[in-house]
Amino acid sequence: MTKRVPLEEGYMVIPESSDEPCRLLGSYSKAADKHYFPIRKRCPITEKDVETVELSPVGELYSWSFIRMPKMGSRKVDSGGGYGVGQIDLPEGVRIQSVIDGEQEDFKIGMKMQLVANPMYTAEDGTQYCGFKFVPVKEG
Amino acid sequence: MNRDVYVIGVGMHRFTKEYVPIRDMYFTAGVEALKDAGIDFRDVGYLYNGYIGGTMMEGTGYAKDLGLTGIPVVHVENASATGSSAFREAVWAVSGGASDVAMALGFDDMARMGMARRKPAPGVDRRVPSFENTLLPAGFFAMWAVRRMHEAGTTVETYAKIAAKNWNHGRHNPMAQRRADHEVTAEEVLAADMVAYPHTAMMACASGAGAACAIVATEEWAKKHANGRPMVKVTASQLCSEVYTDGHIFMGAVVGPAYSTERTAKLAYEEAGIGPDDLSLVHVHDAFPIEELMYYELLGICGPGEGDKLLHDGETQIGGRIPFSTDGGLIARGHPGGPTGLAQVWDATRQLRGEQGKIQVEGAQNALVHMMGAGSVCAVHILQKA
Repeated sequence: MTKRVPLEEGYMVIPESSDEPCRLLGSYSKAADKHYFPIRKRCPITEKDVETVELSPVGELYSWSFIRMPKMGSRKVDSGGGYGVGQIDLPEGVRIQSVIDGEQEDFKIGMKMQLVANPMYTAEDGTQYCGFKFVPVKEG
Repeated sequence: MNRDVYVIGVGMHRFTKEYVPIRDMYFTAGVEALKDAGIDFRDVGYLYNGYIGGTMMEGTGYAKDLGLTGIPVVHVENASATGSSAFREAVWAVSGGASDVAMALGFDDMARMGMARRKPAPGVDRRVPSFENTLLPAGFFAMWAVRRMHEAGTTVETYAKIAAKNWNHGRHNPMAQRRADHEVTAEEVLAADMVAYPHTAMMACASGAGAACAIVATEEWAKKHANGRPMVKVTASQLCSEVYTDGHIFMGAVVGPAYSTERTAKLAYEEAGIGPDDLSLVHVHDAFPIEELMYYELLGICGPGEGDKLLHDGETQIGGRIPFSTDGGLIARGHPGGPTGLAQVWDATRQLRGEQGKIQVEGAQNALVHMMGAGSVCAVHILQKA
C-alpha cells in the first residue's frame, strides 16, 4: 500500500488506513476556550499555553470560488479548466481555506465538506507527500 | 502627532507593464517629488524606501542617484501597505522631531515577486508549495465576493460596475497603467475572461511596475514652499495589525478581518476630528471590486448592506457625493506593490491642491487613503486642504 505522509509536519494527521478520516492539527486554548488553525505557539488572546488537538474532519462551506488561473507554484491551468477553493467552518469555530473538489455548479454555501489528503508528489521510494483538500460529503 | 505635518511634494513614475529599469523609475519619482516641493535632496533629513520584492539594500543603492548626503535611509516592507507604511514612517519622523523634512519613496515590479521562499523541511520537494502557501490571493477576494452575494444579494453587475468606474477614472490619469481608449462598460468587464468566479480579468488589479514618492515636512517648511498653492496637512496617520475575531484566518491571510478597516478608520477619524461625511474623496485597496464595495460600508461612508445602492446611485464616481479611486485605483492605475500607497498620496495631494484636471474632485477638502497589507495590516491616512 502506498505510504502517505503530510507535506510538512504539524499540520495534519494521515492515518495508515484509508478507512479512517484525515484530520487537521490545531491548537486549543483553555484560557480563551478557542481553537486555532494552524498550530499556535501560544494563545493569541490570553498569551497562555495551548495544546495541540485534532480538529473535526467535516465542516460547512462558508464561501467558495472557482479559479481559472494556475495554482500557486505552477504555470499551467489544470486540465479541467480550473479548480475550486473554499472556506470551511469546522465545528470547533475554525475557518479553513482550502482547495475543494468539484465543479463550479456543485458548490453551495452551507454544504457539508470532508477533509481528505491531497497527494502533491511521489518520492522515489514511492512515498506520497500530501497536502489537504475538502470534498463535498455525498448526501445519504 | 507632536508636530503638524504637511505633504510638500509628490512625484511618480507612471505604473506600467512595459520594461523600465527600476533604478530609472525610482530616480524619476524622487526627482519629480523634489521639484514639486521646490527643495533639494540635501534638504531631506530622512528617507524611507518601500518595496516588497527586490534585493538587499536595493533602495539604498538607488538613493545614491539622488545624492550622498549621509542621512538615515531605511527599508520598509508591509506587503501592499508598504508605500503607506513608508509614508507613515516619514510622517512620524517629522512629527516626532527627528527631521523637518522626510521622504517616502516606493517602487516595485510585480513580475519579480514570487511565492514566499523558505527552507523546506528535510525530504520535502522545494517545488511544491507549503501548507501555508497554496491558494492565490485572487481566490481569497473571490470567496469574499461570493459570500457577499449570499448575504446581501449583491450581483456580478455591481462588481462589474465598480471595475468599469475605476477603469474610466484611470483613462484620464497620465500615471495609470490601464488607460482605455474608450468608455469602459460593465458589460465589457463582465465579458472578459473569468479569473476567479465572480471576478473577471478586467476586475483584477493591474499588475505591473512603477514608483511613487511623497515628501512631508513641518508647517514652517510647508509655508515656505507652498508657492501659492494650498497646503496639504496630514491630519491622521494610523496603522493597525489584526486582533482576533470569530472566523479568524491565520493561514493565507490576504483579505483579513473586516474589522481591521473599521478599527483603523475609526482611529483615523478620531485623530483628524472629522467623520466619513466630511470626506471629499477616498482611495482604498481595490485589488478586486468586492473590496471597494465592502470599504464603502467599513469606512462608514454608508450603512451595512447599503454599498450596492451607493454605487448604483453614482455616488462613488467623480461628480458623485464621495468619489472612490479617483485615479483609477488598483484596478486601473495599477498595483505594483511598494509604490501603490504613495500613488494614492500623489493623487490625494494633487486633488486637494486642485491640480488633477479631468479627474479633479471639485472643492476637495479632505481625502482618506486606505491600504491593506496581506490582510494582516491596515493603514489609513487622512489629508486635509489647510
